[in-house]
Amino acid sequence: MGVTILSQFPIDNRTGPQTIEMLTKRILALGSVQQGHFLVDCETYSSVQALGHQRSVHVLHNSEQPATVFSLLDTGTKIIPLATDGLFDLLMMKMASFYQSKKQTKAESKGPRFEIADFCVKLGTVTVSSNFKGVLVEVEYKPCVIPALCWELILEFLQGFLGSSAPAAPPAFLQNRMQEIYSPIDTIQQYLEHFTHFRKSQAPTMMMRPQ
Amino acid sequence: MAFNSINISVEAPIENQIQEITYDGMEIYQPPLTLSESLVKYAQKIDFSKTTDLDLKREDTTDDSKSDIDPKDAFQSSLWPWDSVRNKLRNAHQEVCVLADVLAIAKDKRYMVLDPVPQEPLETKPMVQIYARKKALAGAANVLLTGAEKLKTSQNEAVRNRTTPDFHIELLRLRQNWRLKKVSNTIIGDLSYRTAGSKYLQTGTFEVTKAEEDEKTNSPPSSPLPGGIVPAKPSSALKVSIPSELQGVAYIEVLCQKDFEDLCSANINFLGSGAPSSNPDMHWQQKLEAAQNVLFCKELFNQLAKEAVQLQNPIPHMVVGNQIMASVLPSIQLIIALRHSTSGDKKIEKPSHSRSEHDHVLEHSLHQLLREVHHKNTHHPFPHPATGPLGPSKKRMMAGPMAADRYELLEMTKQETLLEQIVRQTQHFLMRMRTEYVLDTLAKEFKDPLITSHWSTHSSATRSCVKITILTHGYDAVHSTPLLVYIAEKGLKCICRDGRVMNLSYEPQELRDLIFYTINQHRIQIVIGLAKVMGWQILENSNHLGIGAVEPLGNAASCLLASPTGDRIIAVRCEPQANAIHVSVAHSPRTDFFPGRLVTERKWEHLGGQFRDVRMDKMEGKNFLYKMELLMASLTSNS
Repeated sequence: MGVTILSQFPIDNRTGPQTIEMLTKRILALGSVQQGHFLVDCETYSSVQALGHQRSVHVLHNSEQPATVFSLLDTGTKIIPLATDGLFDLLMMKMASFYQSKKQTKAESKGPRFEIADFCVKLGTVTVSSNFKGVLVEVEYKPCVIPALCWELILEFLQGFLGSSAPAAPPAFLQNRMQEIYSPIDTIQQYLEHFTHFRKSQAPTMMMRPQ
Repeated sequence: MAFNSINISVEAPIENQIQEITYDGMEIYQPPLTLSESLVKYAQKIDFSKTTDLDLKREDTTDDSKSDIDPKDAFQSSLWPWDSVRNKLRNAHQEVCVLADVLAIAKDKRYMVLDPVPQEPLETKPMVQIYARKKALAGAANVLLTGAEKLKTSQNEAVRNRTTPDFHIELLRLRQNWRLKKVSNTIIGDLSYRTAGSKYLQTGTFEVTKAEEDEKTNSPPSSPLPGGIVPAKPSSALKVSIPSELQGVAYIEVLCQKDFEDLCSANINFLGSGAPSSNPDMHWQQKLEAAQNVLFCKELFNQLAKEAVQLQNPIPHMVVGNQIMASVLPSIQLIIALRHSTSGDKKIEKPSHSRSEHDHVLEHSLHQLLREVHHKNTHHPFPHPATGPLGPSKKRMMAGPMAADRYELLEMTKQETLLEQIVRQTQHFLMRMRTEYVLDTLAKEFKDPLITSHWSTHSSATRSCVKITILTHGYDAVHSTPLLVYIAEKGLKCICRDGRVMNLSYEPQELRDLIFYTINQHRIQIVIGLAKVMGWQILENSNHLGIGAVEPLGNAASCLLASPTGDRIIAVRCEPQANAIHVSVAHSPRTDFFPGRLVTERKWEHLGGQFRDVRMDKMEGKNFLYKMELLMASLTSNS
């Protein structure tokens, strides 16, 4: 477990698979080895009217932590994270009368997973209710748990294969927590940020264009 | 007297009386009586004239005549069912009235006097009476005597063939120790370890039957022979029948073989040495224990065999028949065999020479390992989740909320199998045995520096520790060299005196070499220690001397000592492999000086002189250090 930085990669004029392929080539050229695939999915439930103030619960799964269900309760003013056992999914089913799932918002990011020395790179194709939305690049530096100590290193590594599209600053979520110990739920928070962003945005212009 | 408390209820048969049987065999039953009818029936049966026992007796005699009449009466008075009852009551009333009248008249004593009837005194002859009484008493005495005799014989009989009296008491005892249940008409017991956490599929059921019929068939032929074989046979009211596959004796044999030669062996058989035969007359307790032992051994072996097949080892484990072969160390194999003999008379043949060495550690370990598995199956770590599956380890339960990643989860699934554990324990056992052997032989071999080894009592099944101290007899206060050896499964970790850690392999020669080296160091160190005590100066000391003949193993160590006045020098050189010590002495200046061509003046003699060997074997003294002390003392006093 280490520090993970998630960044969006602009797809410009390419299709999703093309982008992934290009990044795969770059990362393989660096000497990494593909280690299977990964999947992060997110489902959002919102509270019914009877409960009063509208709240939403985001339930996320990460294939990196297969025994865990992450949930983030968004009360509007703050976000309460929770890491639970797999049984949480069953609990949500029982709560169907209070929290209803928004069918159209199931977001997921999946793709190949690479390992290169101490880094683990994941190239995710993001789909929101099975519509392609963009590409997310996740880089994990495993030996370190304090983001502030390894941000420079990760940035350098990101620049190595993302070029100018590498993020200039740490993700907004991490900026206040650079000195704290990083935990898997922080990764999930970053994913949620991107997913909500993707949900709000329109489908990429590229898809609108005739092929 | 206990019978008084027994309540016996007698009920009328549920079937109705047969009224008629038609020619085709149909039985026509009387319709059941209604409640009022039955009341009438019972009321009719009341005979009000019956008052005393005498009447009752008379009744019996006249019963036949009456019974003929009764049905007729019943038929006649059937017009009104209470007729006979009324008649009887009226008669009784009349009698009571008459009696009351008589009593009233007699009370007045004017018209009627009641006189006692004079009894005619019986004519008694005293002698006849005596005889009669004597005879009667004799008769009574006879009855009592025969009764007493009968009781005595029956008691003797009971003592002789001690039949356990009650089936139910036996059953109660059985129930206290074994699980029993009643299935229709049979009593089924359970031998299996399932309640203790075993998941072995084979059922260990046995049936409990009453042994009485069996005994009765046996006893008649034996009773004609008075005091025959009957008492020798211990009998029980219970008979326990065990399925054939659990009968007999089983045990697990553990052997360590080196090139088909036994190194050690262990027999696991937790009934101890007294292997019970499958004698049919054996007490049920022993019989059941033996059967349970068979079941346990089978489960253990089954588990080990399953693991042996599944385990991926560089040298695969072999399972052949009732035997598992696992390689422990190069050219040493662990053989675990299930021995199960069903026939009682055939004793387990034991090759007496090697297998007599019974190893309790391995025996206990194997036994313990399966018990641990059982225990884990039933004892789940606390706290139990209210809504979670029961069974995963505490670590696994925490894995979800703690967001454990894939590698951690994979690590958790890895469980050490029984076979792996026993192999590790055997490896450790062999390592320990080898170390012991090396230390013992070295201690026997070396008398000059003494080697003492202290085995720590704090050890586990796969790790133990021995502290070796090397010291010279009589000089243990001057210097002693400790060496700590940790014995693991496949190697040794030795911590030397100077804090260096050496990892040795399973080859015993390595430890031997290390101890040789340490002895060598010890010799030089103790000479230095002695020199300090004697007031000599240490000029030079090297543990790894670069000069001289090349040693086959390690390096020679040396030291150079100067006498307090500085005119004598002793050089000591120890060679580890040859176990030889060379001591040389130099005098400077020499006591006698002859000027020559090259050395013209005496002052040049201070530069040092020729070294001359000391023949240590010719010197007095019981050990090397004593000789050294003498040598130093003599060289000091000379000056």
